[in-house]
Amino acid sequence: MLRNRLITVLTFNNGVLFRTKNFFPDYRYTLNFVDAWSIDEIVVLDISRKGSGDRENFLKAVEKFALNCFVPLSAGGGVKKTEDFKKLLNKGADKVVINTEAVNNPELITKASRLYGSQCVVVSIDAKKQAKGKYEVYVECGTRATGKDPVSWAKKVQEFGAGEIMITSIEKDGSLEGYDNELNQMVSEAVNIPVLVCGGAGNWQNFVDGINIGKASAVCTTNIYHFAESSIQSAKKYMVNKGINMRVS
Amino acid sequence: MIVIIDYGLGNLKSVLGAVQRLGYEVVISHSVDDLEEAEKLILPGVGAFGDGIRNLKDINLIDPLNELVLKRKKPVLAICLGFQLLAEESLEFGHNKGLGWINATVEKINPDGEDIRIPHVGWNDLFVKNESILWEDVPAGTLFYYTHSFHVKCKDQDIVIGMCKYGIDFVAAIQQQNIYATQFHPEKSQYYGLCVLKNFLEKA
Repeated sequence: MLRNRLITVLTFNNGVLFRTKNFFPDYRYTLNFVDAWSIDEIVVLDISRKGSGDRENFLKAVEKFALNCFVPLSAGGGVKKTEDFKKLLNKGADKVVINTEAVNNPELITKASRLYGSQCVVVSIDAKKQAKGKYEVYVECGTRATGKDPVSWAKKVQEFGAGEIMITSIEKDGSLEGYDNELNQMVSEAVNIPVLVCGGAGNWQNFVDGINIGKASAVCTTNIYHFAESSIQSAKKYMVNKGINMRVS
Repeated sequence: MIVIIDYGLGNLKSVLGAVQRLGYEVVISHSVDDLEEAEKLILPGVGAFGDGIRNLKDINLIDPLNELVLKRKKPVLAICLGFQLLAEESLEFGHNKGLGWINATVEKINPDGEDIRIPHVGWNDLFVKNESILWEDVPAGTLFYYTHSFHVKCKDQDIVIGMCKYGIDFVAAIQQQNIYATQFHPEKSQYYGLCVLKNFLEKA
């Protein structure tokens, strides 16, 4: 039966890895530490700000990962047109992640999924909790409010042809306090495509909760301290012991 | 030399990386000369069936492939969409005819909209149905990576070497003489995925 997935998400600025905390850079720089053997999938995101940094360096990083990484690789960050999809797929990415442009130009979701298959299209949604417990979708690395509600946006995204959705809680990101499973569950239950949850994973119980309470198909972590082989294996063993179906080596 | 067939669709780089990692000389090509010279062929694919078959037609590869694979029995490994293209027809986005190399049709995983998430994405069990060189050194209980919304329904069960389950039981892999195919992505299934690929490259 289909297992749940544990996915590492690496963010890059100008081709160099760093870790986000509430979407502000917290600089680290090493490339070759992700255990490509126990992890289920890898996501690499370019969050170089416009004008700073060279997309070329990110593409080089994608290529390096692709050649050494025998699990699915998703890449994204600043993707604006189908040509950008093609560039990343040609570098070896298996899926492409889009966020801001999906909101600005939802047709891109449909075009890309027709050209490359919906399996290649992951739409990432960042959301912030507002007053009165409502949530709002933000774009441009969490800086611009859209007025959209993540649940109805997720439903639209599915209609447009996305293969998967990645939902991130802006407040929880980098907090190590656990996911926002209220947000996760709402989005997951609103759609019939796989949902990957992100933002806040600190300990292994957080992963378990992400699946049981957040109803995720896959749990993501951006925490580099989770990336080592022993950590991934330990996390998965913990999850299996708690009754989650995971792939364990 | 191994040739990965380039028909404009699919994660060619991933397959290239995997074959290179296994130490083989490999090129990505759609030139008939390269295909003829190849010791073995790989037909990858991610995307829609209709586009796949049309692309193959547009670059005039169908006749050469029929000749090389069906007549001259060149070993070929078809992956994911590549596997689906081997069928007689597909119900994806209408009705499309495939290569017709195997007696099969391509259908939706959940035609009646059952309560499972589509596409089928992630790691899932392989149930070995028949012995095959592909499964050598692959232990029972091995998982492989899938990402698809359609599956290949084989009318001829003799060619089925592996099954998987997601809502329905569906065909994970086939072997028909020199034609091998997997619905899962061996190049994305880590250690044992590479093992399956190596088995094809070494023994087919």
